Amino acid sequence: MRHVASTLLANPKAAFGAAIVALFLALALLAPVIAPAAPNQRVARPHEPPSAEHVMGSTRMGRDVLSQTLHGARTSLAVGLAAGALVTLIGVAVGVTSGYFGGRVDEALSLLTNIVLVIPNLPLMLVLAAFIGQAGPWVIAGIIGFTSWGWGARVVRAQTLSLRQRDFVRAAELLGEPALRVIGWELLPNLVSLVGLNFIGSVLYAVVTEATLEFLGLGDPLVVSWGTMLYHAQSTSALQVGAWWEMAAPCLTLILFGSGLSLVNFALDEIANPRLRTIRVKPDLLALATGRRPA
Amino acid sequence: MAFLLRRIGFYVAAFLVAATFNFLLPRLMPGDPVDVMFAQAGTALPPESMEALRATFGFIDQPLPLQYLRYLASVFTWDLGLSVKFHPLTVNEVLLRALPWTLFLVLTASFLAFAVGTLAGIHAAWRRGGRFDAVGAPAAVMLQAVPPLVISLVALYVFAIALKWLPTGYAWAPLLDPGWTPEFVGSVAAHAVLPVLTLALTQLGGYVVTMRNSMINLLGEDYITLGTAKGLDDRRLRMAYAARNALLPAVTSFAMTLGAVFGGALVTEVVFNYPGLGYTLYQGITARDYPLIQGQLLLMTLAMLTANLAADLVCLAIDPRLRRA
Repeated sequence: MRHVASTLLANPKAAFGAAIVALFLALALLAPVIAPAAPNQRVARPHEPPSAEHVMGSTRMGRDVLSQTLHGARTSLAVGLAAGALVTLIGVAVGVTSGYFGGRVDEALSLLTNIVLVIPNLPLMLVLAAFIGQAGPWVIAGIIGFTSWGWGARVVRAQTLSLRQRDFVRAAELLGEPALRVIGWELLPNLVSLVGLNFIGSVLYAVVTEATLEFLGLGDPLVVSWGTMLYHAQSTSALQVGAWWEMAAPCLTLILFGSGLSLVNFALDEIANPRLRTIRVKPDLLALATGRRPA
Repeated sequence: MAFLLRRIGFYVAAFLVAATFNFLLPRLMPGDPVDVMFAQAGTALPPESMEALRATFGFIDQPLPLQYLRYLASVFTWDLGLSVKFHPLTVNEVLLRALPWTLFLVLTASFLAFAVGTLAGIHAAWRRGGRFDAVGAPAAVMLQAVPPLVISLVALYVFAIALKWLPTGYAWAPLLDPGWTPEFVGSVAAHAVLPVLTLALTQLGGYVVTMRNSMINLLGEDYITLGTAKGLDDRRLRMAYAARNALLPAVTSFAMTLGAVFGGALVTEVVFNYPGLGYTLYQGITARDYPLIQGQLLLMTLAMLTANLAADLVCLAIDPRLRRA
């Protein structure tokens, strides 16, 4: 693990990306200490432009945009990490089970995976969120987790299928090792890089998707997150009245955090798979690495 | 043939899952499913419309399996019920009114992104390591990390609000009467520029990267070396030999992503108030118009399945092994 970390940081792209991500995590954790005001406290006049007192200006409700962005990072990143973990967990569980046991189990799970992949994700999440009505951040994390694991499962299954043919897996099976041990001790360690890629890509996807769902008005408007900031800015026509700073802050953080994650993922990809270092990138892996799914 | 039948069987199963999901969701929510489903409708619709709506969604005085069959009968005859928000209209009429705008938006943007992205990818791969490649390839990767929502909002602010070059929303100037007059067509074109370009931009990076990698993988092949040895000119070798073969994965991914772009267009349409399916869905969500929201899911699933079926047909035409199997 230490070896992986040092190799990763030796890569300038990865080091830069990791620094951005670490900075965001630190800012989110320290938000209550460093934010100039409480996120929902009225501390300024409506739509004050950026000034020395309010570095990122104020909202229509006279709230400090910088404080909202810092506190919003807590929600957005927590949802991203939770949903990313859920997506990865389900994807790996389904993919490994499907690839390792084969036969009927594989057929059933592959069918399920393909159905999840072919039903359009965003409309499905919108229907779910609409029925739940004003979904809180954790509910949104759950919705994202349970609808978006298809790509991870497909890629992990393919890799498991190829690993399963290797001699060391065969040897473990011939020694009579139970299936769980073969999976846990022989297969999973060889899937670590793939799982890591999947996790980082999923976090990126989840942060963006949460913001999108909340922007569309499906979130709980009382929660402070980057998505609800965009929602409030949109519903008070911030752009139309020239208060661009209300939109700029969450947009900028989304871009920065996303770039940081995708840089790490790209470097991780190159390190884990030396063949990719030249220029070969498989479309499936790329979809994982950028958090953008074709389906 | 067997291959195609198997695929079609799978698509029917997938569609059935989406329909079942629609059926179960209101019944799984806490409280009375009829109340959940038609909370907003009670005040908006006359009693006889409410009765029709209940029948369509299987809220009949029968056991659950019969309710399910009743609902499936509605879905497979494509009776999606009445819209609550756009009251006298059925969900079908509301969706049909919005569909042409979305098709126009999605197809124009996708073909634009495909053409530009593929050409850029060919160029970057052919001169890999060159100046264009060194800037273009990382830029394409970064572009994929920018959320479509952010691209749309920035474009709206910069070009429509700050610079006032283009209109801020809707599909044509409200004072014009729809018709084939030069003014109206011009107005539609001006209103389409920003939505089309932003939607194309969100897809561009993917096509550049796919084409570039697919092309680079081919450049080491013997027939390329042979072509060079034969003294073919650079352009012919690049386009007719390398790019033509490298295009296959890009074409498949084009067809596959087309369905997903319908979902991506949703955000673009909401930001630009563009009167397509996405904006209609947004209006449905704000009004809690559940029949409309559910109909939208079915329509989008159908679009996705059609795109996949088209991809299957293309593969079948290209790959003779599939035809034998």
